[in-house]
Amino acid sequence: MKRKLRDLPPALLMLVPSLALLGVWTIYPLARAIDYGHKRCDSTFRNCTDAGWDRYSQVFQSKQFQDALMVSLKLAVMTVPIGLVLGIGLAVLADKHLKGIGIFRTIFSSTVATGVAVASLVWFVLLQPQIGVLADLLSDWFPKLKNPGLLNDPDTALPAVALSSIWASLGFTFIIMMAGLQSVPRDLYESAYVDGAGSFRRFTNVTLPMLTPSILFVTVVLTTRALQSYGEIALLTQGGPQSTKATTTIPYLIYGNNSVIHNDIGTKSAAAVLLFLLCLVFAALQFRGFGKRVHYGN
Amino acid sequence: MRTARTPHASRAARSRRVALLAAAGLLVAACSGGGDITDSGEEPATTVSTVPGDTVAPTTTVAPDLLPDCPTDALASATGTTEIMFWHGMSSTLAEELQRLADVYNSSQSKVHVTLVGESYELTIDNYLQADPANKPDLVQLPEYMVQAVVDTESTVPVGKCIEASGFDTSAFLPTALTAYSTQGMQWGMPFNVSNPVLYYNKKAFVAAGLDPNKPPQSLEELREFSQQIVDSGAATYGLALDSGFDSGGGWYVEQWVAKAEEYYVDGDNGRTNRATQVLYNNDTGVELLTYMQDMINDGLAVSVGDNATGTDDLVKIADEQQPAAMAIHTSAALGGALDLLASGIFPQLSVDDLGIGPMPGPGGQPGALIGGASLWPVNSEDPVRIAAAWDFLTYLVGAQQQSEWAATTGYIPVRTDALELDPYKTTLATDPRFSVAYEQLLASPDALTSAGPVVGPLREMRSVLAAAISAIFAGADVKTTLDAAAEQANNLIADYNARNT
Repeated sequence: MKRKLRDLPPALLMLVPSLALLGVWTIYPLARAIDYGHKRCDSTFRNCTDAGWDRYSQVFQSKQFQDALMVSLKLAVMTVPIGLVLGIGLAVLADKHLKGIGIFRTIFSSTVATGVAVASLVWFVLLQPQIGVLADLLSDWFPKLKNPGLLNDPDTALPAVALSSIWASLGFTFIIMMAGLQSVPRDLYESAYVDGAGSFRRFTNVTLPMLTPSILFVTVVLTTRALQSYGEIALLTQGGPQSTKATTTIPYLIYGNNSVIHNDIGTKSAAAVLLFLLCLVFAALQFRGFGKRVHYGN
Repeated sequence: MRTARTPHASRAARSRRVALLAAAGLLVAACSGGGDITDSGEEPATTVSTVPGDTVAPTTTVAPDLLPDCPTDALASATGTTEIMFWHGMSSTLAEELQRLADVYNSSQSKVHVTLVGESYELTIDNYLQADPANKPDLVQLPEYMVQAVVDTESTVPVGKCIEASGFDTSAFLPTALTAYSTQGMQWGMPFNVSNPVLYYNKKAFVAAGLDPNKPPQSLEELREFSQQIVDSGAATYGLALDSGFDSGGGWYVEQWVAKAEEYYVDGDNGRTNRATQVLYNNDTGVELLTYMQDMINDGLAVSVGDNATGTDDLVKIADEQQPAAMAIHTSAALGGALDLLASGIFPQLSVDDLGIGPMPGPGGQPGALIGGASLWPVNSEDPVRIAAAWDFLTYLVGAQQQSEWAATTGYIPVRTDALELDPYKTTLATDPRFSVAYEQLLASPDALTSAGPVVGPLREMRSVLAAAISAIFAGADVKTTLDAAAEQANNLIADYNARNT
């Protein structure tokens, strides 16, 4: 006990830099947002009145928030499983000791170096109905590419955004999975082989269990990323097609240029805090859901 | 061992229960409620019909004594160079021309030096509204839909007070341009870059359809007739490209059409004699107009290019190689850029001379339009010298010579008639009459508050509400129900805005 107390001052001292950064950039803004969330303010965000804490439940239950929540959840459902499967698939493909495999590893991981903005612009140009390459090449089979364009159709806009999003985060998933694969002890494969396990059995009984920590990590990150998507939406669809607000995610409802709460810091903050809670709940659910299935080795 | 739980297991079970409860709570909450996110319990105005000339409440005027003074003579006694900051919303060609004008100003005298900071309109607005008074610029350019919202911040020096203090002569200014930035008897901002929507059309398609390429449609009947002829002859796949962007087909054009029908968009005489409390676009005129647009699309005469995320989707549709439209309604401010683009040869099937410009077709078939674009607002820095310096630069920017140069390069309309007599704009008009279309339709607008456009605090958000409705109407939704729902949401926005900002 005494020893622990003696260690406290230097420990705190060493924590100061990160605590300060966390405090200034995360804790303080969060506290301000929570406070703003129960206020009604003018357009300058300076003159506010108290609107009561039930403003949070009003915002949560509002049609706009519920619609945006559905869009965000749909986006997560579209991007997370496909992103995971593709990431694992590419990683398994590239986890071979072949000549020149490094080139493929570089290609597969290259989207890590591509920001959301760049990735979205690439897809925006590809999908553009009048001058885009995809519309030119494939519109005979998929007429929607040309008219009205995938991003302009209420049914295809969100999948098209998801496509861009999956592509953009594939590099990240690939790298984490690669690292996960490389840390699987080779002797596990060898003993499985000796026991007569075929390559499929080796994958399901050795590779996948050993990858579970990486899969959990990637699932949490990808889900949070999907719930927080803003850049793709702002560049590809601006939350549209507006008829159904088909791609207005919660972050776009909060920050979007054409949002009805654009100049309403109170409502925006309430929505942002609710989004934070949602991400928290989902991360907690995922940790619980994976539970003991996560194999951290011995 | 069966009954003894380890502490670890019970903690895990407890946190699992907590997570499940939280998830269940979210779902339960999700199933109830469903109000409007902006609904703060303020009662929106109940619907009453307002017809032009039938003012519901007595006219209110602001008391000039309560507004900040404009010490325009403070600059004369100042020593040294006064540094001022100007925030604007121009980009590309427009920003370059604005910078050139500022450079000429800076090098022409040594009393004032102005620094320009350019962003999009949206960012300029957000930055301006939310900046501390100490961090605000000395002069800011704000688009026409921001009038009420900026007035409500009480952060600017009304231009009217500067005009009065300095005896600045506004007799050459277009009355409609001035009116657009005044409410309740006060001139708030100074019009600088004025534009309005015009009809862009492909003259080659007109010829191919047997139409006169120099006679664009004026009335809605003609618009439909011409489109039919274009589609039937195969000159183009569609007659007209429509969009539902909030700053174009989904919002601004509707304000234009309502004005062309000589009706108010919001009550309080478009919010100019009294603070607006409700929208009026879900009346018969609005329903008739949007039914017409919907029919055009349903009958294959018009095509919707969607939300116009790039701002040019409708124009690009004219140049589409596979399924082009022959016409599109677009802001006149894009004319300079569009001609540059065609001259660059990026669309080989369309030359500079193939692009025709006509007045915006609309109800009544008469030319006439609301002004769009932006105005200049001197900021109340409480430093008389800086306010006077901002006013000095402002008067330079709206000078006849500068307006002539500005209009010739950009396609904006000069805010004053004497700019038309000066080169380079005089030559531009003489050699390319397409540049005069927007100016002429502005001159043709009736001198009435219906032609001044709506002034209402959350106009930007209201446009986005209407844009969503119009997007749904273009996709086939019932016109009346959709407009009614949009109007209700807009009225909520107004009630909520007025409660927060007054």
